[in-house]
Amino acid sequence: MRVTVDDRVVEVPAGATVLQAIRAAGAVVPTLCHDDRLSPSGSCRLCLARLTGRGVVAACVTPAADGQVVSTGDPDVTAMARQVLELTVERLPRRALDLPTELVDRCAELGVGPDGFAEAGRGLGADDSHPYVHLDRDLCIACGRCVRMCDDVQGAFALTLAGRGADTVVAPGAGSWAQSACVSCGGCVDTCPTGAITQAGLAATQAPVTAVNTTCGYCGVGCALTVHVSDGRVAEITPDRDGSVNRGHACVKGRFAYGFAASPDRLTTPLIRSGQRLEPATWDQALAVIADRLHGVVERHGPDAVAAISSARATNEENYLMQKLMRTVIGTNNVDNCSRICHAPSAVGLTAAFGLAGGTNPADDIELADCILLAGANPTEAHPVVGARILQQVLSGARLVVVDPRRTALAGYADVHLSGRPGSNVAVFNGLARIMLEEGWVDDVFLSERADGLEELREQLRWFTPERVEQVSAVPAGALRKAARLYGTASAPSIIYGLGVTEHAHGTDGVRTLANLAILRGAVGTAYGGGVNPLRGQNNVQGASDMGALPDLLPGYQRIDDPRARQRCEQVWGHRMPLRPGLRIPQMFDAAIDGRVRALWVFGENIAQTDPDSGHVRAALAACEFVICQEIFLTDTARLADVVLPGASFLEKDGTFVNFDRRFQRVRPALDPPGQARTDFDILRSVAAALGADLGCATPAATLAECARVAPLFAGISHTRLEREGHLHWPCRSTDGPGEARLYQQGFATPNGRAQLAARPWLPPGEQPDAAFPYVLITGRRLVHYNAGTMTRRTPNLALQPRESVDIHPDDAAALGLRDGDDVEISSRRGSITAAAHLTAEVSPGQVFLAFHFPQVAVNLLTSAEVDAVTSCPEYKVTAVRLCRT
Amino acid sequence: MTRRQPAGPVWPRPGRSALEELVARTGDTDALTRLRQARTGQVPLTDTTERAAFAAANAPLAAVYGTATYYTDLSTPTAPRHVRVCAGTACFIASGGRHIAQVEQALGVRVGQSSDDGEVSLQEVHCLGFCYGGPAALDGDEPAAGADLADQLTGCTPRRAPEIPAWAVTHSAVLRGLAGEPAWQVWPRLLGRPGAVERVRAEVAESGLRGRGGAGFPAARKWEAVAAAAGPRYVVANGDEGDPGSYADRLLMERTPERVLEGLALAGLACGAEQGFVYVRSEYPQAYRSMCEAVQRARTAGHLGRAVHGSPVAFDVEVVAGGGSYVAGEETSLLRSMSGLRGTVRPRPPYPSEYGLFGRPTAVNNVETLAAVPAVVADGGAVYARLGRAETGTLVVCLNERFSWPGAYEVELGTPLRDIVYRLGGGLAGGRELRALQVGGPLGGFLGPDQLDVPLLASALDDAGAALGHGGVIAVDDSVSAEALLAHLWRFYAQESCGMCTPCREGTRRGRTDPAASSTDDALLDLMGAASLCPFGRSIPRAVRSLLRVLGGSGP
Repeated sequence: MRVTVDDRVVEVPAGATVLQAIRAAGAVVPTLCHDDRLSPSGSCRLCLARLTGRGVVAACVTPAADGQVVSTGDPDVTAMARQVLELTVERLPRRALDLPTELVDRCAELGVGPDGFAEAGRGLGADDSHPYVHLDRDLCIACGRCVRMCDDVQGAFALTLAGRGADTVVAPGAGSWAQSACVSCGGCVDTCPTGAITQAGLAATQAPVTAVNTTCGYCGVGCALTVHVSDGRVAEITPDRDGSVNRGHACVKGRFAYGFAASPDRLTTPLIRSGQRLEPATWDQALAVIADRLHGVVERHGPDAVAAISSARATNEENYLMQKLMRTVIGTNNVDNCSRICHAPSAVGLTAAFGLAGGTNPADDIELADCILLAGANPTEAHPVVGARILQQVLSGARLVVVDPRRTALAGYADVHLSGRPGSNVAVFNGLARIMLEEGWVDDVFLSERADGLEELREQLRWFTPERVEQVSAVPAGALRKAARLYGTASAPSIIYGLGVTEHAHGTDGVRTLANLAILRGAVGTAYGGGVNPLRGQNNVQGASDMGALPDLLPGYQRIDDPRARQRCEQVWGHRMPLRPGLRIPQMFDAAIDGRVRALWVFGENIAQTDPDSGHVRAALAACEFVICQEIFLTDTARLADVVLPGASFLEKDGTFVNFDRRFQRVRPALDPPGQARTDFDILRSVAAALGADLGCATPAATLAECARVAPLFAGISHTRLEREGHLHWPCRSTDGPGEARLYQQGFATPNGRAQLAARPWLPPGEQPDAAFPYVLITGRRLVHYNAGTMTRRTPNLALQPRESVDIHPDDAAALGLRDGDDVEISSRRGSITAAAHLTAEVSPGQVFLAFHFPQVAVNLLTSAEVDAVTSCPEYKVTAVRLCRT
Repeated sequence: MTRRQPAGPVWPRPGRSALEELVARTGDTDALTRLRQARTGQVPLTDTTERAAFAAANAPLAAVYGTATYYTDLSTPTAPRHVRVCAGTACFIASGGRHIAQVEQALGVRVGQSSDDGEVSLQEVHCLGFCYGGPAALDGDEPAAGADLADQLTGCTPRRAPEIPAWAVTHSAVLRGLAGEPAWQVWPRLLGRPGAVERVRAEVAESGLRGRGGAGFPAARKWEAVAAAAGPRYVVANGDEGDPGSYADRLLMERTPERVLEGLALAGLACGAEQGFVYVRSEYPQAYRSMCEAVQRARTAGHLGRAVHGSPVAFDVEVVAGGGSYVAGEETSLLRSMSGLRGTVRPRPPYPSEYGLFGRPTAVNNVETLAAVPAVVADGGAVYARLGRAETGTLVVCLNERFSWPGAYEVELGTPLRDIVYRLGGGLAGGRELRALQVGGPLGGFLGPDQLDVPLLASALDDAGAALGHGGVIAVDDSVSAEALLAHLWRFYAQESCGMCTPCREGTRRGRTDPAASSTDDALLDLMGAASLCPFGRSIPRAVRSLLRVLGGSGP
């Protein structure tokens, strides 16, 4: 459509508004109720413009039309806009001008001065009940932006406009903000144009503020954030409106939980063990001890007596350096990262099925899906921005199938909730596959042209009648049929899954049998399918594996025994590499206890709290001669180390992260590391230097450039391009080619280019309840805390959830004589902990749920050493426990 | 297996409301009624969230609170005896603006409050449709009307609630049922025949029938748009006759509900909708009962249901009650109100014909429009098309109690106002002097006694500074001053403004605070007229200016 704006002709797409045409023409009309993240409401009436033949219109809600002639800035129209603004502010207190807001900008632009404001407000009062959100009702102009953010983006429905006419004002329901359904995403704070809703406790600063765009360091969604820094501290973090995944949204962690960075108990100096104590030391001393002890272990026991756990929280560049250091300086493949204990089954399973170790489709495809199968994931809490996008898509009409033993928030919106016994995934997925085949809800052309293994699968599925699946899983046959129909008959079905699929004794089988559904349906590698997408738990758990921090794979998922890959690496690195695959994390612990591993380097992981069967982990740490811990806080793991190296948080780093949909994004330093703490990038180079080696890679940019040379998957990715293009998906094989957001459109990356169906039997979980341990414990995450809680517990998030309690079904509680809040002892075959009971029907009878965010409720004392048969991923999701009122 | 190349996602989608989508999941149109039922005791519903939530469990708590604070019925305290007194223009004129104070005194309770003993509560409402015999009140759901209203409420004088006097002046289309012609004559016969849908569409198109709620949009074109959109679709009878001064819809819903239903069913057929709704404002409890009973009778008689009269057509109707909001008569507000949400207006497009109730294509037609449809189809569109001079069709005009012969009259469009005032209304009763004529309700305008040659036409009234509106014709005599009438109007505007857009929300607030100054503030009035979101705010300047022009701003 061609629209003339102030004598300038612009081309706008169908569906554009007059406001968009005005902006496209470089003209300006004032706005207050408009936010590009929200559908326009036409409420403030500031964006007035004149349409030839129609008169004065509000540009934001007027559709542009071909041939339209728009004029902005006609004096009479501007006068109207000014009067709208005068009407808007005349009941607002003058202090509204003290805040840096859109309203203040509009007043300046339109010439509305302090005299246009009231001396004092209406006396509507404030709400300061929430740790992060402050409401000053007198500043509300009833534009509704906060409500629209809350409803249309987050889907919390915690806010409303209340009252009518001139009495209209925002309200968090009838009670206080703290009592509301607010999930603290900060969307209202971010959008409020007047300062009515602000971040609580945000001090007005006179110091200059610099803004640094970076990528969130919490979960794997990959939200783009802007860190506002003043006087060497974070003044505020806001979501980057241009963020390609979050699109101007964020969650309580990314947006608000940054206080840890300035926590007084940050590690600021290296520590060296002296008897029972860790004593402060200089870097020279610490590095000397490390060099001496590691050299000693290598000399006495060989390089394979050293092992390193790299960090899924750290940058790609740091992970690259860690594996390079281990392989070239120490001379061992004993390097692994925590994807081992979360999504190793995804990497292996997806590689076997499709060819590459990542999700198949970009987050952007959520809005294309007309049916989402969400399995073993609670993104509302663990990946909130993706959870919100899924919810919005479901509200807009997409069908939702949830496979989860718990009634999660999204399960409450599901068309079908398959609530099976923990450990029954393979049976459920096979049951779905069987029904789809029987009913013909499969893509025969796709199956014959692009997939292998159909006959073997058919044979395997003979056993999986809905009735048998019901016996095994407790999922009703009728629900299974309905779910199969919804997924099987959708036009653009998508699978999104989480650790509820992988963290099982047969997690890899879970991934394979889940992938089967997409293959049967032709919903992967095609334009109309949403593929199979794991939600990665940590900010860079995808990247840590991508960079080769794995015992059997080099950067870019090249096998350690692939001669061409070895040659490429050895040529660039100038070193020969060990051929034998290294140890996986659980094997490292076993080897330490056996005496095969003598030195362990733990980088940015609190394994004593987060890894299963903590007693075993602690025993392993105790058995090692030498433990290095590279951390930002003195965690339980750091306390057990011989040398503690003070590292940097994501706010202090330069580099890149890869999010759950294979998206490289830049991480930029907003702060300096505190005290003598160094970036982990510097630490790794320093350790190498102390060991007498030069890792090369002088800068993070140079490091990623080197990675691009050794890993064809990332050949086209560089800091320079990321600065220019914002983000790049891998595979990105050339510097002039775009990354592949949607995989396998031309063919699968398997050896024969075809997707591989997997015929897998259902096998029972490794850990089984019995008479002594009759309940099944499921572990996972909660919204406001993150993993070991090391960061979030050092922020006001603690006020939102001060302690962990165990979720118990009211029926079970009644049988045990438990009331809400009673302390209950939870014991497994390995240990025992105590937590307060929280009665909720979110868990099924016979099951309990705990998160691992609080050391006081050390849930991993309970979890078992059972692991996935293929990948050694622990069976976190099934632990037999007994409950006892204390 | 269908394969569809998905289009690129449009984000954010214009007009989308996640809350509307959320409540659409349950398809619940009963929320306002449940909220009203939850409202007992002296505390307004807004303070008793738990109960409110229980009553409207399908919506989020915050949304329930938003709703409960929006509708007058829900935000007003309610005692065991709840009296709603009419603050409409006709009652205001009838009592010289005194009856509300009289009722307050008689009942010992102030408007918007409960009595000290918690036994009686008083709510002010904008029009109970007794304009022909006011002032009026509803005691519970029982009406009382007349100059002695306060005495009636205290039992000093007997209760009176006279029926609406109604006549069809011309060849009747709308009021035909009052003459004894039974409804449900067209629908059963039509259903079995091939081409029934096309016939309804063709007859209505030929008739030139336009929306009688005030907007005057051709009914056939609206239906065409709905029918063209993907189903499921809905049809809605708009019985939110908000205009103080009009009571045609109350008449139709109370006395000939079958005809309204039959019209709705025919609209459903034309639109391809299987579900219809009748939205009845809460100020019309008798109309609500009467519509509900008519639906029951129609179901029993087989006019509604699955496979109606053996045809493949399915059609059923639900009756939905409002919550006390004038703006709910605007279609986007009405649809939000039906789903239990705040009845604020949203911008169009998207129009309800594309994105309406629960996000589905919806035709919203006024009750009077629908009541004409059975006659249009029965007689053939050509017969109806011949009615009217210059503009097609008839309109039920409603005269207030100042006239000698107040009542509802179905007249042809184009009838001169003079005929309506003198030939039908018999001039003003008691020899009073006609000072002004308010035509088209509070958003219409005032005409002087010298303007009675203006014909009853949308275009001519518009030119003269009034509007056709919903046919309310209120004679103003010397019982109230111009200032008082102006203050009365601004008070109405401020109380009923939904608050969505700044010019209307803040402009009506200013007008209420200082009616005289605001009424001559050309910049403010121009702004409201040009920049308000919906016709409510946009029409206020015309009404105010015409009042000043005709009544001169100073009364006797």
